[in-house]
Amino acid sequence: MGIVTFLPRFFPMVFLSRWALPEKIKKGLEYFPISILSSIVFPLFFFNGEGRMEIQPHLLLSSIPVFLFAWKVKSLWGSVLLGMAIYWGLGWIF
Amino acid sequence: MDHHQIKKGMIDALPIVLGYLPVGVAFGLLARQAGLTYAEIGLMSLLVYAGASQFIAVEMILKGMAGLPILITTFLINLRHLLMSSTLSLYFQRNRPFILALLSAQLTDESFAMAMSNPSKIENQPQYLLALQSTSHLAWITGSVLGAFFGGLIHFQSYGIPFALPALFICLLLLQLRNLLHFYLMGIAGTLSILFKSFLPGNWYLILTALITSGLGIALERRVCPLKGLPKGGTGKE
Repeated sequence: MGIVTFLPRFFPMVFLSRWALPEKIKKGLEYFPISILSSIVFPLFFFNGEGRMEIQPHLLLSSIPVFLFAWKVKSLWGSVLLGMAIYWGLGWIF
Repeated sequence: MDHHQIKKGMIDALPIVLGYLPVGVAFGLLARQAGLTYAEIGLMSLLVYAGASQFIAVEMILKGMAGLPILITTFLINLRHLLMSSTLSLYFQRNRPFILALLSAQLTDESFAMAMSNPSKIENQPQYLLALQSTSHLAWITGSVLGAFFGGLIHFQSYGIPFALPALFICLLLLQLRNLLHFYLMGIAGTLSILFKSFLPGNWYLILTALITSGLGIALERRVCPLKGLPKGGTGKE
């Protein structure tokens, strides 16, 4: 397991850092963080733990203030703590 | 050794630590219940260091599966790191393979996103990224081992723990948005990922979405001129 998790992490780092990549591909790599983060974040609200489609009202509701807060304040700590507090609070309400 | 870089990396890792500790504890607890020994749990978190894969491996062990199916599943889940590792490679063009091997061994979604929230911090600064990653990794190992010993005492659905990492990812995503094109791409990737996830197995939705969205990014960047200012307040959610 250690090896199969290591390989995809390792190969691009070592080999691509030696080659000069074409500009187009470099440009595309710039968009990977946004693409990957979006595809990590948004499905969270619409799929349950087993990967079946099912709206997650707690996650969805907690995310709205976190989106606003993170956008305005740009604080990682603040977002994490606020998100946890709201999610916890929602658990008390329903 | 550049102590300043190391310290900065450790401090920047703290939000990740807050997310990893409880998830690590949950993993330790489940792994223990599945019959793994303390040493196996610690070693797995040290050597494998992949949240989802470790949980799935434990579940497969519980169902009596072992060996090859676990390896294949793990490999497929972690193929997405090909993309992240490719992106990071742009910032480490002049470093020795040994350093790159160390950096890549500890690459995770969270450390990648944190590193990319301010790429100027990592550009040819392997010590900063190593410190950030090692601190996160240590939190994961510590969490797993603590969970193996004391996990039964904690309620994982309480204290907002399930929302710690999602909140971190939301903020890291918003930190990436620097122009209007980025907003469009977030909307496109959000929609595509939900669509793909509804019918594709495993983690293919991540890889496919990232490839298509990045391609669209290249295609669209000349049409959407860089904005003077960002639109106010919009979160760009679908």
